[in-house]
Amino acid sequence: MLSKLLKIGIVCPYSWDTPGGVGNHVRDLAEYLIAQGHDVSVLAPASEDAVLPSYVINAGKPISIPYNGAVARILFGPVAYSRVRNWIAEGNFDLLHLHEPAIPSISLLACWAAEGPMVGTFHAAAKHQKIIFAIGPILEPAIEKLSARIAVSEAARLTLTDHLDTDAVVIPNGIYASRYMHGSPQSKWQGNTIGFIGRFEESRKGLSVLIEALPVISRFAPDVKVFVAGPGDPEEAIKSIDPQLRSRFEFLGKISESDKADFMASVALYVAPNTGGESFGIIVAEALAGGACVVASDIPAFDDLLGHGQYGALFESENSTELAKVIIDLLRNQDKRTQLAKSGKDHAQIFDWSVVAEQIYSVYEMSMVGGSKVRVAQDSRSWSRFLSKEEKP
Amino acid sequence: MKYLIPTIFFVVFVIWYLTFLARRLDRLHHRVDNSWANLDVLLQKRAAVALEIAHSDIADPASSLLLTGAAYQARDASIQYRSNAESGLSGALGLLLEDSRHLATAADSQLLTELSALTDKIRVAIAIHTDAVSRSQMLRRKYVVRTFRLAGNAPLPVTYEFEADVL
Repeated sequence: MLSKLLKIGIVCPYSWDTPGGVGNHVRDLAEYLIAQGHDVSVLAPASEDAVLPSYVINAGKPISIPYNGAVARILFGPVAYSRVRNWIAEGNFDLLHLHEPAIPSISLLACWAAEGPMVGTFHAAAKHQKIIFAIGPILEPAIEKLSARIAVSEAARLTLTDHLDTDAVVIPNGIYASRYMHGSPQSKWQGNTIGFIGRFEESRKGLSVLIEALPVISRFAPDVKVFVAGPGDPEEAIKSIDPQLRSRFEFLGKISESDKADFMASVALYVAPNTGGESFGIIVAEALAGGACVVASDIPAFDDLLGHGQYGALFESENSTELAKVIIDLLRNQDKRTQLAKSGKDHAQIFDWSVVAEQIYSVYEMSMVGGSKVRVAQDSRSWSRFLSKEEKP
Repeated sequence: MKYLIPTIFFVVFVIWYLTFLARRLDRLHHRVDNSWANLDVLLQKRAAVALEIAHSDIADPASSLLLTGAAYQARDASIQYRSNAESGLSGALGLLLEDSRHLATAADSQLLTELSALTDKIRVAIAIHTDAVSRSQMLRRKYVVRTFRLAGNAPLPVTYEFEADVL
């Protein structure tokens, strides 16, 4: 269905060797487009010894700054800027796709340096971004060069309209739904089990809310077990658990994609107690695709993703009492669980890459209407000629 | 003499700022042109699909007549009547589709899928166009831009009043 073959440049602002939502999204999108026959080049920061796939160009070593409740590993500065410009000048791209161009990163630099068809995808959704967005007047001239803007969720779109006064098309993050569809239930994870996947050390992932809810849950369901998967050191988390309940928890470490599919197909409930800072919730979409019955906090992203409770149960964010109530109710009601899981699985198909990439591609087509290619911006060229003579003829 | 250097700096800065603004404005006008061209093409396609639907078995003679009329009107409308004509076409399509979904045959349902894919694209195109227009309007309202007539003779872009929910 994808017609004309294009040369596409994608810029990922976050370090390639640290897994994260945006990075995964860029990787999957790039691989999907390559599989369709397009020529894709991804520019991303990475440490020097990182092993990169052939389509990724290293933009330099990232630095760590605290951002949005986590540590972001990003890159900017004059050296990075000249690398970005060279990449654009040599790439001869039909289109640039910049991810998260509203934070100081190589995406913003690329937006600054380039001219022509550009699409920007905004991932972040947070209230506390005042500092980042306070530099709006500086960002504005750059952001308005984007021929089209994509927001990954309604929440991300609202963040954008609030802070940057600009509208966007909502296209959700993509997942490979088929990878999760055929997980086989594993008896070790079945029964009255609750699943959790994520970097549990980060407080915004909300594992502590689940831990607080467990005493109540275990009173009504004595055989309940909680499986926590994801990278991190469980030491801290275990300390915060009531000693009598420690045996109820099992930390699995990082699990593979195929294990993930089995995991989702096995657990009675998948719980996403995130307290915020989430703009889409890719893991929840994967849980739905894997046929799990999902219980999630009612932060805007999840509320939106779960269709206000239609495809999964919601509880008031950070309220462990209500979480316990919802979990107990569902553990006792097999029919309701099956019904939620089924409607969730059907719904998850709209997040499949075949649908999502198609939508992204039609935005590409629309922004390329002028027929011009991506080139280094005029003002950026004269500016650099003024500063140095290193400009190639 | 001692004011000479600051004055020169000031003048240079003002000139740089004005060219910067003018360039921004120029770029925005291009964006508006492009997004309009894009929307225009999609709307033409929609009119073509509407005509095909009018000639297919989906439409009864009366709605076929209505649809054909609306499609031709949308295609031939001059720019000021365009938005009215397109809304008219949306209305005619809406009327027809409301009660014909269940009786469409396979060949016809292909037309309907095409139409709904087109409608999705149009919706996105409208959003992109509206954004480009409101951005340039915002910049053109700036005092500096008006005083120095940075927009030149370019006409002020106008939003395309398309009722997105009618689609």
